[in-house]
Amino acid sequence: MRHRNIIAAVVLLVIALGYGALTTQLPIRSLPDTPGPPFFPWVNTAILLALSLSLLVQGLRGTATEDSGQTITPSDRGQRRLAVWALVAFVAYLVVLPGLGFLIATTPFFAVLMVLFGEKRRLWVAIGSIAMTTFLYLLFRHGFSVFLPRGILPDLVSGIFA
Amino acid sequence: MSPDVLIGLTQSTGLMVLLSTGIGVTIGLIVGMIPGLTISTGIIVLLPVTFVLPADISIALLLGLYVGGMTGGSFSAVLLNIPGTPSASATAMDGYPMAARGEAGRALGIAITASFIGGMVSFLFLFLLAPLLANVALEFRTEDMFAVVFFGLTIICSFAAKSLIKGLLSAAIGLAIITIGQDPVMGTQRFTFGQVNLMAGVHFLTAMIGLFAIPQLVTNLTDGTGSASRVQTRLTSVLPKLSDLKAIRRSVSIGSLTGAFLGILPGAGGPIAAFISYDYARKASKRPDEFGTGVVEGVAAPESANNAVTGGALIPMMTLGIPGDPVTAILIGALIIHGLAPGPLMFLERADFAYGLIFSFLWANIFNFIIALAALRLLVKILATPRALLMPTVAVLCVIGSFALRNNFFDVYVMLFFGLIGLAMRWLDMPVVPLLLALVLGSQLEENLRVALTSSQGDISIFFTSPISLGFLILSFLSIVWSLRSARRANRVASPSRKETPP
Repeated sequence: MRHRNIIAAVVLLVIALGYGALTTQLPIRSLPDTPGPPFFPWVNTAILLALSLSLLVQGLRGTATEDSGQTITPSDRGQRRLAVWALVAFVAYLVVLPGLGFLIATTPFFAVLMVLFGEKRRLWVAIGSIAMTTFLYLLFRHGFSVFLPRGILPDLVSGIFA
Repeated sequence: MSPDVLIGLTQSTGLMVLLSTGIGVTIGLIVGMIPGLTISTGIIVLLPVTFVLPADISIALLLGLYVGGMTGGSFSAVLLNIPGTPSASATAMDGYPMAARGEAGRALGIAITASFIGGMVSFLFLFLLAPLLANVALEFRTEDMFAVVFFGLTIICSFAAKSLIKGLLSAAIGLAIITIGQDPVMGTQRFTFGQVNLMAGVHFLTAMIGLFAIPQLVTNLTDGTGSASRVQTRLTSVLPKLSDLKAIRRSVSIGSLTGAFLGILPGAGGPIAAFISYDYARKASKRPDEFGTGVVEGVAAPESANNAVTGGALIPMMTLGIPGDPVTAILIGALIIHGLAPGPLMFLERADFAYGLIFSFLWANIFNFIIALAALRLLVKILATPRALLMPTVAVLCVIGSFALRNNFFDVYVMLFFGLIGLAMRWLDMPVVPLLLALVLGSQLEENLRVALTSSQGDISIFFTSPISLGFLILSFLSIVWSLRSARRANRVASPSRKETPP
């Protein structure tokens, strides 16, 4: 945790300085002796800087033993890999979602998550992902008027039946 | 009786409102009992559904979920020794040993009954105290409101028991985020970088979905929580016997009163109330040594306390616009989405709605008791739902939820961004709740601070010359000290007792 605190403190210090630099560019539109739009961001900058520095000092003063006892087992590595794959799948899903549409993009994403969460039966993965995606689409589009993107599906369907 | 009370009662007994309360309770019981799904996550996932519903129906649904979730958490605590919600952690200490002896039905019956009594006591607190407090709050000026909001933010300290610096940093990040968009006093654009989507600021709902749900999903993926297969679904003697009801009288009284009172204080929340009540009940018991081995008093005290917290937490939410716990912070957001600002004016301008909400809370507790007892055997079977189906559904609901807010993919990407922030914060052991509170209360804090300072021409003594403001600033200081002390005390109570619990 000690190294993590130091990394976090440095990152937050940079963010606080960047936030302060952006605050200097805010317009000062106020009457004399009254707080304008940059007032609150300045207060925040000061708080962020003070707290980040405190975390840095805490991290630097901490003993190395704080990091001991956190041995990473092969099973931990495997689980972390699963988490990374899930995040990659999530990002990829969000990138293709607007273009492909909800049904086409969500079905494989759902299937990938089912596999990552331990489902090994392929038929269950196929049925579960298609059924749940379709159910959610119909529920929100027709039940709650959330206009989830149709994407390329209408063109595909009309192309097939043309 | 005031006509608004009668109108509120009538509104809360409308068919659709009652139906949505019942549905909310059922969803809450399910969400609460599934380890890895918290009440906050449940409400966040359900929020998009409420966008198209009228405000009274939406709030009834969410209140039902809140109340049901608190009770549902005890099911997995008793049956699996895995608390479905943090508030049910203390319940496991005696509930699971009872289940291990083959008395799971008896333990759950006690838990449901104690939850009901706790909920009813907190309803009385809410019904009697909220209108009085709202009347007083109508006299508050901007400097007083600044002090009240600041007091609300002191909840942060109870989530920063491990590291105060990290808790405060989390809140400071939240306060920085709320400065994105138009400033609340003059409407000046700040930190928008010419991006049209940022002009209205970062919507707290998208931030909340990312901060809570994404790290939760990753945790469930890595530690295998999210459902359980080893569930004891054969339950007998669920209805509590008269002898059991007599035995739990004292512990339920302690739990209900402690929970309702602690719920009013910002920061206390269900887990702290449950552990403190457990501790008090043990001290007040004639057989304190038996606590931890499976006694009904040990189940009744925390269960009545965590349900009593719900009504208590609604009091500052409705009267002052400050949340009593993270769930009420989300409820404030839900009310704002429906164009209703919680605070003293709610009792003046929308008293019918305010009383409707209070009575919906009453119905939620009654439905919770009936549904939990009647459908217990069916509900516990849901504990065996495969997480391979449940967790991907939650992930997709997060995407739909952030998209549904404004039918805009920008919000979905904002949700992902906050999800990554949430993961980084978890990696750093930095609490997320202070950030959420800062997002909910930050704009009010800035607005009241600036307006008060403008009226005093920059003189900060305005906050110390107003007796109300000074009173709340003193309360804030006491709340900080008390939150840190009680959170540490609850941790101490939890640690030795856990050792007594069989694996």
